[in-house]
Amino acid sequence: MIVGEQKPIAEIKEMVAPYKKLLVLGCGTCVKTCFAGGEDETAVLASAIRLVSRKEGRTIEVEELTVERQCENEFIQEAAEAVGRNDSVLSLACGAGVQAIARRFVTKPVLPGVNTTFIGVLEKQGLFTEECSGCGNCELALFGAVCPVTRCAKKLLNGPCGGSQAGKCEVNPDTDCAWQMIIERLKILGQLDNLRAYVPPKNWNTSTSGGPRKLVREDHII
Amino acid sequence: MQTTFTPRITIFYCINSFTETSSVFCEIENQAEITFVKLPCSSMVKDVFVLRAFEADADAVIILVCPEGQCRFVEGNIRAKKRTTWVCGLLDDIGLDGRRLSLFNVKSGDEASLEKILDGTLSVLEELGPSPVRRN
Ligand code: SF4
Ligand code: SF4
Repeated sequence: MIVGEQKPIAEIKEMVAPYKKLLVLGCGTCVKTCFAGGEDETAVLASAIRLVSRKEGRTIEVEELTVERQCENEFIQEAAEAVGRNDSVLSLACGAGVQAIARRFVTKPVLPGVNTTFIGVLEKQGLFTEECSGCGNCELALFGAVCPVTRCAKKLLNGPCGGSQAGKCEVNPDTDCAWQMIIERLKILGQLDNLRAYVPPKNWNTSTSGGPRKLVREDHII
Repeated sequence: MQTTFTPRITIFYCINSFTETSSVFCEIENQAEITFVKLPCSSMVKDVFVLRAFEADADAVIILVCPEGQCRFVEGNIRAKKRTTWVCGLLDDIGLDGRRLSLFNVKSGDEASLEKILDGTLSVLEELGPSPVRRN
């Protein structure tokens, strides 16, 4: 899932200051799970904006709506009437959702209410960890399904670096050493031999270094 | 404690820790306007309910929950406490002052503590004055 964090109210209030009618638009999938932009967070933020505006003597009407996903036209369509009624939209989706809304409603200012942070996992209630950097060429099979590109601070493909202590990363002792995890997992799988293979430098063309990426599935396009 | 204005206080309470018929409220009636919000468990205190109380012109919000370890639903009062701390921070960011919101663990029928809580809230409000977003 995409993990994000709501922007501070001080930043949001400046962004929405020029507008009189604001739609706070939540997204009911990824950002709902990480408590940044689902129905509950949309309601809280709408209320906070009303309060801060009233405190500062500004008049603003705030409407709230949450759609299932802001990155799919089918769901975006459900917001069309509400968007039409307002002069601006504060989207609580990830950066992709914000852009999808802006593309669909070209004449409306669409503002980001969330800082999109990473692709991650819900480790336990309230704890999210970064697990994938979307490099575009997944090599997890070699590494016992622990990603060194994302989880090793030095992004070593031929680790470990030798600096880890008691299973913790020398860069940040709060983080587990990815290479310790890789080795432990390979041991369990009986695949320690994977460590003998030299992993060549990554070709970053498949990541954002090659420009914005596109996925085309001809078989699904009519 | 008498304040220089008539404060509006919203009290969210868990039905397992408190009843509205407490004599303490009869005594305070002429010093403050109190609105009660009854909850089946303190875990139902959602952030947005508290903010809406301020939108509805409360000067302060009090949340009354059972003592820790005595919640009938195990951790409702711990959840309520964590949320309250979070909303206090948000109130500070909004400029309303987080001291307008507080949570107390009280035993059912503990009138003495209740009296102290209300008195403490009135003193805080005397210092802070009416909520800056109160409309009338
Ligand atoms: S818009 Fe972003 S947050 Fe919402 S469902 Fe799509 S990817 Fe997830
Ligand atoms: S190798 Fe690339 S695609 Fe696979 S988990 Fe790591 S960053 Fe993600």
